[in-house]
Amino acid sequence: MSKFSINNLECVRQNNILFQGLNITIKDHGLLQINGANGSGKSSLLQICSGLIEPTAGEILWNDKNTKKYRYEFQSNILYLGHTNAIKSSLTVEENMKVMHAMAGTKSKIDYSIILEKIGIPNTNEILTCNISAGQKRRVGLTRLFISKSKLWFLDEPFNALDEQGKKIIEKIIIKHCKNGGIVFFTTHQEMEINNYPLQNIHLGNNNA
Amino acid sequence: MLEYINIFYVIFKRDLTLTFREKTDFINSLAFFIIIVLLFPLTFGSKSELLNTIIPGIIWISALLATCLSLETIFRSDFEDGSIEQLVLNRYPLILLVSAKILAHWITFGIPIIVISLTLGVILSLSNEIMMALFITLILGTPILSLLGSVMAVLTMGLHGSMLLSILILPLSMPVLIFSTIAIQNASLGLPIVAETYFLAGILILAITLAPIAAASALRIRLS
Amino acid sequence: MYKWIHQFGSPKYFYDISVRLSKWIAIVCAISFIGGLYGGLVLAPADYQQGDSFRIIYLHVPAAWMSLFVYLVIAFSGAVSLIWHIKITDIIARASAPIGASFTFLALVTGAIWGKPMWGTYWVWDARLTSELILLFLYLGYIALQSAFSDKRIAARAGAILVLIGVINIPIIHYSVEWWSTLHQGPTISKLDKPSIHLTMLIPLLLMVLAFKTFYITTLLIRARSEILEYEYNSSWVKKYVIK
Repeated sequence: MSKFSINNLECVRQNNILFQGLNITIKDHGLLQINGANGSGKSSLLQICSGLIEPTAGEILWNDKNTKKYRYEFQSNILYLGHTNAIKSSLTVEENMKVMHAMAGTKSKIDYSIILEKIGIPNTNEILTCNISAGQKRRVGLTRLFISKSKLWFLDEPFNALDEQGKKIIEKIIIKHCKNGGIVFFTTHQEMEINNYPLQNIHLGNNNA
Repeated sequence: MLEYINIFYVIFKRDLTLTFREKTDFINSLAFFIIIVLLFPLTFGSKSELLNTIIPGIIWISALLATCLSLETIFRSDFEDGSIEQLVLNRYPLILLVSAKILAHWITFGIPIIVISLTLGVILSLSNEIMMALFITLILGTPILSLLGSVMAVLTMGLHGSMLLSILILPLSMPVLIFSTIAIQNASLGLPIVAETYFLAGILILAITLAPIAAASALRIRLS
Repeated sequence: MYKWIHQFGSPKYFYDISVRLSKWIAIVCAISFIGGLYGGLVLAPADYQQGDSFRIIYLHVPAAWMSLFVYLVIAFSGAVSLIWHIKITDIIARASAPIGASFTFLALVTGAIWGKPMWGTYWVWDARLTSELILLFLYLGYIALQSAFSDKRIAARAGAILVLIGVINIPIIHYSVEWWSTLHQGPTISKLDKPSIHLTMLIPLLLMVLAFKTFYITTLLIRARSEILEYEYNSSWVKKYVIK
């Protein structure tokens, strides 16, 4: 059983208090959506949770261990996907996936074609990523969800640039991950159709007025 | 251990592939280097004694300027497309991944500079002693530039203007330039260059030890 | 001790203390400056070699010392803020940089003015002057980097890394320049390494050093206070102070 908790978290950016005194504890199977208007600090919260930026106050614990002290232990359990796809436009789709695979640290062999098929862009292995559409690029970035073996996912607007079909695929993989014992934090401004799974919500905003 | 070697190799190979596919930056900085070196014989005339004394120094100054240009690209695309976040939030030590990137930069930039310099030296008929000193100082000096410069590149990445990068790198790389040119001068007078070589090697070791640490912590700071 | 550091590190505490301190330090500065100048320009005898032109050391030497000292202060506070994330050291580093750069500039200018009667030309590639010039560029690089960021917290920590690399580099730079200048012109005339300096010359010099140091502290405190107000403009105590 793993546990992720944040204690009394505060984030101040450019002298704007985004949030203060935030407490969250989430265990296996947890699915948590972060809501809030633009600029309310959704992305900042994800970045703070993943350890990318430092909170102005408060601490983040993974299995009751401070993630800053046990940085690499924590980092080998997380997957963070930001706004950007973090793929290289002059590498082919498969070359990009190979890099992701190596960085994910999973030793098992992976059939890239099957993953591409699952995510709805079959037979694109050899295409340079600069030659595919924005939605397809997003999907290439999201193949990390299939490659990674990390338990804790932080997904910033994963449905951006995706069409209905793509959105469904990602929703499905998120729920599957939670059912298998994973924990997912995500932000979105789109309507979610997760009916068959308990979804927690936190709402950010309006405390900086 | 094997894992670490593997990830180092993957990042290293990725950066090499990217440099060779996105040729323009790579070729431009080398072309810039050659053009600057060739400007001097054109302005000072082609008398060989004069060239023999100034060309090695000019090669060094041009290498320094070209490094400033080329370093701007080392973290730029990673920063823009978000790959840097993946590097930072990785299970592998950031120092290792950054070192792979720095090594890739030196292979794609430092080595061509050395090769081109020696070729230019032959074309401009530098003496053998000078060629030898040039080779030694470049092979010790260019990695220092890559290491030191990559820290500065991290500090300035995403900030507009490559001028800032040059302003940061140039004063800090003064010792490398000074020791190298002294060594070359000594060589041209037939004096030993052991002392300067040791100094450069010492600075190189210092840079190898400290620069990746500095670059890694600078990366974390820049992302926050 | 640690607790004390944290208390001192709190911007409000620092602000209050600096208001009280800076007045007294400024007075010390004024007294030692006047005393040093009077002693140096009037009381001290003319140098038997350089005549009256040596008197510029009363500006040049303290400025040159301070230029390096301030850089070390910036590096030290940079290291502290990297390790403990103390806000006040960020502010000290940031506020010190322009002062240090001015000292460096002053040292260069006075060095050049001194050089005219000594060497017959304003600029010689003397090892000390050259290292001083490179130090000025290090300062300028630091200031340029600081102003390139909009977020001051990031600016301070990025600057800390730069300045720490600079501090490691300074001895190397100094040594390389010395190596280079001895190679090029033979041993240079060393200005300060005179075995004995007469007491009437030394005391004004020490007074000037004290004056420069206290001047630095005074201006640092004033600059730091305005930086603090800018840093903390959202917090309640700043609002109270400003309204008052």
